[in-house]
Amino acid sequence: MISRACNARIALRAAVTSLLLLSGASLTFVPEPVRGETAAQAARKPVQPPMPYRLADGHPNWTGFWAPSPGMLEFNIGLGGVPAGAPLAAMVRPFSHFSALKSPYKEQLATAMREADAGKVMDPVAQCFPPGMPRMMGMVYGMELLQTPGQIAVTSEWQASSRRIWLNQSSHTPAEELDPTYAGESIGHWEGDTLVVDTIGIRGDVPLNYDSLPHSDKLHVVERFTETTPGKLTDEITIEDPDAFVAPWKEIETYRYRPDLRIREFVCLENNRNVGEHGEAVFDKK
Amino acid sequence: MTSQLQQQHARVNTIVKNALPILGLIISLAAAPAYPHHSFAMFDREKVVSMKGVVREFQWTNPHCWVQLVAKDDHGASQDWALEALSPNVIGRMGWKRNSLKPGDEITAFFNPTRDGSHGGNLVKVTRADGTVVGDSP
Repeated sequence: MISRACNARIALRAAVTSLLLLSGASLTFVPEPVRGETAAQAARKPVQPPMPYRLADGHPNWTGFWAPSPGMLEFNIGLGGVPAGAPLAAMVRPFSHFSALKSPYKEQLATAMREADAGKVMDPVAQCFPPGMPRMMGMVYGMELLQTPGQIAVTSEWQASSRRIWLNQSSHTPAEELDPTYAGESIGHWEGDTLVVDTIGIRGDVPLNYDSLPHSDKLHVVERFTETTPGKLTDEITIEDPDAFVAPWKEIETYRYRPDLRIREFVCLENNRNVGEHGEAVFDKK
Repeated sequence: MTSQLQQQHARVNTIVKNALPILGLIISLAAAPAYPHHSFAMFDREKVVSMKGVVREFQWTNPHCWVQLVAKDDHGASQDWALEALSPNVIGRMGWKRNSLKPGDEITAFFNPTRDGSHGGNLVKVTRADGTVVGDSP
């Protein structure tokens, strides 16, 4: 009797799996990239959403490569990547519109800015450390999202920095058991077609932007990922830190699905000629 | 290498900002997020310099690609210049390849010079001796 019930369940599961495979609904399909086309040329084509549009569980399918939009993979802004003649202040720089800082973080930033003016930029990213959260969501190259039951893997092309969004975890690890890391601990859930992700456990010594914007280890990041139009993803990032910031503040990152691109290797330590003896940003002319 | 260099008509030109046709496009794209690996405060991005020279080495590496260029100064002496570009994952998607430049290639490099006057810069564009642009530059 028991074995018959078991067999029936196995048969039913096999039938459902076959049906899903036949319909293609359970498959995530990332097409083969087109050769001989530059990224900017491909970006002039209409935006395509990932196919199939939804996963078998009904949630949006976001598996694939997503690049900042607008971003350097959509236009050519010169080999060096920095628009010549445009003042730095005119450029949109990730995490540059932050809430007021409290002491001693305010003074810490002022010191860092003075050092930057003196040409001593102590940015860990320039030294090839990971950007960490939430800065990795604002890196220029793009990211790969991989969805699997219970988790979403995010790999920034920037140094293959990775984070995991756990969908099978309802609450954070207790503070005393949670080791601070660059990416922190991210747990997520779906609210309709919006993915809501809550992140804590981020190291207190990882700046939030290129200007060494500091924060404490109480940094709390809440993200709302929404596919605003097919193939365009928005990450609305709310940053809260009761020790460092006067008030919570928001940052919005937008990405475009790029089926023409695959994530590429980026090993920052391969030939980093931009770090001085004391960790400052330099220009080694060897 | 030296005799090849002597035939070169290497010169350094500071081009007025508006003289470069690409600048209009570049400025219109100023809202695009940039800042790849490190601060670019070391470069004078108000200036684009053009320099003719011979490639000594092309480094197709992360976090930046580098063109080591040998060019003549005003006194005819050979000088080594270090010109930084983005990484293979970006310029590779702009039509560049690891063998786009080879030692001995005669090129003209367009770049933002260093602020401290040292021999280097942030590459904007590279053209070959016949005037063709390398890759899909703006």
